[in-house]
Amino acid sequence: MNMQAQNRQTAAETALLDSYNAQIGELPGNGAVISARDRLVDDLKTNGLPTRRVEAWHYTDLKTLLRSIPASGPASSVRNPAPLVDAAALIKTRQGEADGNVSVDGIVVGSYADMLREGTAAPGLSVIDKDDTIGKINGSFVRDGYVLEFPAGAEIGQPIEIQALHGAGQAHTRFPVSFGAGSKATVIERHIQTTDGQAFVSSVSDISLEDGAEVTWIVVQEQGADDTHLAQVRVRVGNNAKLRLFVINAGGKLVRQELRIDVAGEGADLQLRGVNLLGGDTHTDVTLVLGHNVPNTTSTEIFRNVVFDRARGVFQGMIKVALDAQKTDARMACNTLLMSDDAEFAAKPELEIFADDVQCGHGATVADIDDNHLYYLMARGIPHNKARAMLVNAFVAEIVEELEDEALVEALEAIISNWLEKHA
Amino acid sequence: MAAVQETIDQVRQIDVDQYKYGFETVIEVDKAPKGLSEEIIRFISAKKDEPEWMLEWRLDAYRRWLTMEEPTWARVDYPKIDFNDLYYYAAPKNTPGPKSLDEVDPELLKVYEKLGIPLKEQEILAGVDKPRVAVDAVFDSVSVVTTFKKELAKAGVIFMSISEAVREHPDLVKKYLGSVVPTSDNYYATLNSAVFTDGSFVFVPKGVRCPMELSTYFRINEKNTGQFERTLIIAEEGAYVSYLEGCTAPQRDENQLHAAVVELVALDDAEIKYSTVQNWYPGDAQGKGGIYNFVTKRGDCRGHRSKISWTQVETGSAITWKYPSCILRGDDSRGEFYSIAVSNGHQQIDSGTKMIHLGKNTSSRIISKGIAAGVSQNTYRGQVSAHRKATNARNFTQCDSLLIGDRCGAHTVPYIEAKNSSAQFEHEATTSKISEDQLFYCLQRGIPEEAAIALIVNGFVKEVIQELPMEFAVEAQKLIGISLEGSVG
Repeated sequence: MNMQAQNRQTAAETALLDSYNAQIGELPGNGAVISARDRLVDDLKTNGLPTRRVEAWHYTDLKTLLRSIPASGPASSVRNPAPLVDAAALIKTRQGEADGNVSVDGIVVGSYADMLREGTAAPGLSVIDKDDTIGKINGSFVRDGYVLEFPAGAEIGQPIEIQALHGAGQAHTRFPVSFGAGSKATVIERHIQTTDGQAFVSSVSDISLEDGAEVTWIVVQEQGADDTHLAQVRVRVGNNAKLRLFVINAGGKLVRQELRIDVAGEGADLQLRGVNLLGGDTHTDVTLVLGHNVPNTTSTEIFRNVVFDRARGVFQGMIKVALDAQKTDARMACNTLLMSDDAEFAAKPELEIFADDVQCGHGATVADIDDNHLYYLMARGIPHNKARAMLVNAFVAEIVEELEDEALVEALEAIISNWLEKHA
Repeated sequence: MAAVQETIDQVRQIDVDQYKYGFETVIEVDKAPKGLSEEIIRFISAKKDEPEWMLEWRLDAYRRWLTMEEPTWARVDYPKIDFNDLYYYAAPKNTPGPKSLDEVDPELLKVYEKLGIPLKEQEILAGVDKPRVAVDAVFDSVSVVTTFKKELAKAGVIFMSISEAVREHPDLVKKYLGSVVPTSDNYYATLNSAVFTDGSFVFVPKGVRCPMELSTYFRINEKNTGQFERTLIIAEEGAYVSYLEGCTAPQRDENQLHAAVVELVALDDAEIKYSTVQNWYPGDAQGKGGIYNFVTKRGDCRGHRSKISWTQVETGSAITWKYPSCILRGDDSRGEFYSIAVSNGHQQIDSGTKMIHLGKNTSSRIISKGIAAGVSQNTYRGQVSAHRKATNARNFTQCDSLLIGDRCGAHTVPYIEAKNSSAQFEHEATTSKISEDQLFYCLQRGIPEEAAIALIVNGFVKEVIQELPMEFAVEAQKLIGISLEGSVG
């Protein structure tokens, strides 16, 4: 009886496949890329979008939640948001296509559309696993993006900001980025809506850190209130490389943010921080799959979630420690504040451990604001609303401050307080 | 300290695959033919002299079962079970309702003696310092003898086999059977509903505190016999009962399927404490044989201020698939789950709990200690959820895993679902190996490595051991030591 339900296409599934057929003529790609795309679309057609029966999508039943797919159309706005920090070098895509010619001192910037046309992008279009729906959708529809190469030993002081801008319609981008051995850099990846209207966005950042690279990568998602945002950050961390990954979700109607991290080099270290600000009638899912695959690696992950209104939040965090990944030290925490009676949050922090000489742990809490803290502030003459806002702010700001870079911290705090002003 | 010393001794005595309770008793057995069909179910029902409604209930479950698929989500791996290659009914032949212990097959009594079950009333009564324990002994599928019945009856407590209860208290059975674990609940529960052969029935009436601990010892004896126990415990308003379930089984070559269902119902202000020590045959050193243990245990805190507490020590079975759960329906009700799961050799354990908060001001506590050694896989899988109306729901969860050796795996899969803002959930999990410092400390004082590990592990699980009734706590500590035998080196 379930078989029937599986094969029945929803309106959104039909729209997705129709949209592919409508676009196929104009999507860049040589023969290898086209056949890779066709395979992905066939997979989507045969298996449909995942339901809650698919464990990896248990709390985000995409088949039910994804209701409609807007038609793909050209950019309708030329709004240019200022970079997050003044000094940053800007690299932009608009409606899924590269915007202008870009060059940044010290790094090599290439066009992803060229990679598709030449066919060098074809191997990268394969999915990570059978539940990699984001990989399937993005691989089918991706039009453009940037290929960034940080040469070995390069120390880029200036932050690089990738802005993925779009209005109503569709945008599918991909950013393969490699950090050469010993390079140092800060990259900000922003997803911003520039005009109103429903957008269907998919994005894959494919990042590799060679030996000894030190990278700060910041993802800021500020999609529109009607947008669907399906994003994936794939990372491979090499020997003695250090990655600081920071993710803020502060927008979108239906958001799935996947972080797929392969800690693949000895001595590698990952510091992952996330802030999820959820309000309105939205659904946001952050799914982390973190593999410690070699001995002597470390990681810490901290997520802070604030859920207002009728929003639903999901955190799935899996730490996998491979058989010979001895001396792994991995710790994860997920703390959530539920700010309204209709707010919901589901957390699934998982440990999958096959090595014995490890230190692994996770903690998860879900609660309302502590009445004692509220009372403390109110007793000092601070009105109820303001006191609540202060406490929420403190709850998330705490981990933003870890970034150290003052300009960056200020800019991120501004995003948080703007959001809170609108929603709290 | 005496118990610890005993553990050490036992660890020394026993080789890896010399299962302590691995002996076979040769008794004539009355068996149904192999396989599963409506005829077999009619046969079981007729053998047990059941009323028509019970047969219909079974057949209904069987028809549902035919449409269901075996669950595959658990982290366990085993060859496909041929459900038509099993016996679904086996009863010891010479026991057509024994009137006293004298009528019981002496071979049977010897088995119990070897297991150390205090079956004979006089023996229990003679033990001046021993707490009183009533035993409903299950030998394969039929309750052989029930002790202490009279004394319990005086208190108004009904404690008998479920087949007797079907005949003697049909109204109670009808009212509660399947009300916590419905026949359609899951694959194995549905199978159990169709073919369950026996189990215990406990009814503690309003305001009664059960005067003694109730206990059932399970035995799986006959080759290829699926054991399908069904236990139903009801505590009426303000009642209290503590129930112990302990298991041992003889050594076998072929895998044996066990799919039990336990249902608990607690009405207003009632409390049920359910403790399990499970040490069925885990298979040999090569992972051959061993029991498949697919159990559905669920408690329903139906009344306000009711409480259900599960405590389990899982050391046996080749495969364990078990999630004793609490439905916290009544306001201010409370659920507890304390678990020790030890896996060694090729054992696979996927166990945990569900705490479903439905009423207001409900609270729950989960303490789970997993110990993996050898090439075993040990998974904690648990769910805590607060319904929209379950205001002020509270949960605290702690699951710690200990790894002994580098070929085993420990996994934690919690599902935490909050649907209202007043819910307060805390979850923490850790995984690590035995501390080198602690081990060094013991070795330095002349304690051999294996004994030191047993000692450290017993410290690791202390929080759970403390929740066990006294007589079980000692046995559990011994078992943990035995289970970890051979895990070093």
